[in-house]
Amino acid sequence: MELAFDYILRGILSVFFTSEGAFIWLPVVMVLAGLVLGIVVGATPGLNGPFAMAIALPVLISAFGTGNDALLPILGFLIGIMKGATVGGAVPAILFNTPGTPDAYLTTLDGHPMTRKGQGYKALKVAHFSSVSGDTFSDIALFIAAPTLAVLIESALDLPEKAALIILSLSFMAAVSGKSVTKGLLVGGLGMLLALIGTTLSGYGPRMTMGVTDLGNGIPLTSAILGVLVLGEVFCAIEDRIHERRKNRQTEAPRESTDNSLSWVEAKRLLPTILRSASIGTAIGALPGIGTTLAATLGYEAARKRQKADAALGSGVPEGVAATEAANSAVSGANLIPVMSLGIPGNFAAVFLILAVESVGDFTFGPQVFRFTEIKVIEDYGTIINAELVIAFGIFTLMVLANLFNWTIGRYVMLSLGILAKIPVTITPALVLLITITAVYSQDGGFIAIWTALAFGLIGYVLRRLEISLLPFVIGFILSPKLEELIRGGFSGSGGDPFFLLKSPIALIFLLASVAIVLRATRKKENK
Amino acid sequence: MVRRWEIGIGLTGLLFALFSLFFWFPNDIQGAFMETTRAGKPEPGDAFFPVLLAGFIAFIAAIQIVSALLKRDQEAQGSDYPRLDGENIKFLALFLAIILGSLAVVYWIGPLAVWLTQEELTYRQLVDTAPYKYLGVVVGGFALTFSLISWAEGRLRARSAVVSALLILVLILVFDVALTNIQLPPNADF
Repeated sequence: MELAFDYILRGILSVFFTSEGAFIWLPVVMVLAGLVLGIVVGATPGLNGPFAMAIALPVLISAFGTGNDALLPILGFLIGIMKGATVGGAVPAILFNTPGTPDAYLTTLDGHPMTRKGQGYKALKVAHFSSVSGDTFSDIALFIAAPTLAVLIESALDLPEKAALIILSLSFMAAVSGKSVTKGLLVGGLGMLLALIGTTLSGYGPRMTMGVTDLGNGIPLTSAILGVLVLGEVFCAIEDRIHERRKNRQTEAPRESTDNSLSWVEAKRLLPTILRSASIGTAIGALPGIGTTLAATLGYEAARKRQKADAALGSGVPEGVAATEAANSAVSGANLIPVMSLGIPGNFAAVFLILAVESVGDFTFGPQVFRFTEIKVIEDYGTIINAELVIAFGIFTLMVLANLFNWTIGRYVMLSLGILAKIPVTITPALVLLITITAVYSQDGGFIAIWTALAFGLIGYVLRRLEISLLPFVIGFILSPKLEELIRGGFSGSGGDPFFLLKSPIALIFLLASVAIVLRATRKKENK
Repeated sequence: MVRRWEIGIGLTGLLFALFSLFFWFPNDIQGAFMETTRAGKPEPGDAFFPVLLAGFIAFIAAIQIVSALLKRDQEAQGSDYPRLDGENIKFLALFLAIILGSLAVVYWIGPLAVWLTQEELTYRQLVDTAPYKYLGVVVGGFALTFSLISWAEGRLRARSAVVSALLILVLILVFDVALTNIQLPPNADF
């Protein structure tokens, strides 16, 4: 226990002090800056958190470099954006009935009627209180669950089991995240295959480059991910704007304020709703691939079942806003449980945290992080310590800081951003396109980055239009090299046994679970 | 129509997998499927995992095709089935033309300006000199954002031009003035 506290303390101190003991303000400022930017981005129609994280990452790497010292400031900024955008997304949904994301649509159900009743700013305060409560709740779950899960996994799983676990995670994502399981599996396989371009594990030189020498170092990872996630969305957004421009929906201006305060008594009355939704969001978020929309829907439905006669959900009551905002915000912290403990991203925000970690410093997410190695100081040598564990607790500290800022400053930032919700949605996609092109070019140093981003943008566009989930493609693309390493290592370690994955009982259970999940999801979706 | 799309998606996956297995990989992966170590033990080569993945894609694609063939009742629910139609293709063609045209301007406007105004110097020599280093992103970037905003709004507005110009100013301030270790497009290519 003492050892654990020692690591926690070192993690906290790593955010505020350099290894030489000098005070550093940078990580704290970066968390605050990221949070404010996140709230602004969330409040701007056509933008969202993962967009901002995607564009910020290359800029941050250019600004801070890729050394170990850069990791906490960069992650602090990205975590700030992630948390801020969750809160900010409620602004256009509540004030102008323009949800930027599917889960924000549920916030409009009660949030916008509150605005029409002249209680728009009260709805924003409820959204902020619920969102930050849900987020804090799920962060606490993360702080407890991630190390526990990682320790269990690290002690119980070897190469075949870890490979089977990745297969289970990918199968689960393909099964739950889209409308069709087979299409999810198809694009997951495609993503995994494309990730192997330009790589080699045998020293024969890059494979599958199709003669393009620029691909000799592999497909530029950030450009590919930005392409499929950001540019694919931009392509669709511009096309949608062109189709919609004649319809040009008029938004109703908010009425004059009547009751816009949120008293402690009212906040206390909302707590059971918030706690229920936060629990739902946390449980959903801990499973990779499911996402905020289901969490918000289940949170809202749970509140609807327990609604009182004087608080009919859908008519503009604070309980409706609290139920959805607490649930969807609780997803973001819990989504980091599989990231921190397994190295498996569960949503798009987590993808960019993994990308940051892969690009900067020596730290990598995974169960090995939470090894509580005994700390020994050896004279004339240095300290023997699991530096990754210190960084992990540093990341938890950044999350706590972001929550503190969100509780204190976030509300005022959010309440002052109603004007941003008026930005025409016709403008933002084109701006995001140019920023993305410039960012990937600057990070990956050449037109190959732009071509990669555009090619993956086209893949993203096609998948969106065919309503095939992007998540299996993206996660498959990210995890493929790791899975290949585990499978090849496990195969060699077993002395060339082709059935090595089936010989381990745990790996076999994971594989059978993968098959069961896929079959069950297929049957369920076919019956719909 | 629905069934045709379902089969088409499966068929695309199957053809891609077969193309990979029988043409792409044999010509583009130097390592074998299995190799032997110096100690005489078998170990997977560079083709091992790609072949497994392509086999997996082929298998899933076959399931997709067979299940689509078995589901005859899909025809009735086809009106809102997600698909790519002629409108999407038309949009993509024009959209990509705008992007590629703007990127061509980004790439060539600087060298063209140097060719027109400098007698002995090349763009490569002036790649870190204002105003040449900004020309690509200013002219090409403006063309890209202004044309896409105007297209989305269905009209030319001064506001679109101002927004585009402001964004480019911000990009220059961030990617050139604040961050000195990176280059704006297209300068890293020269």
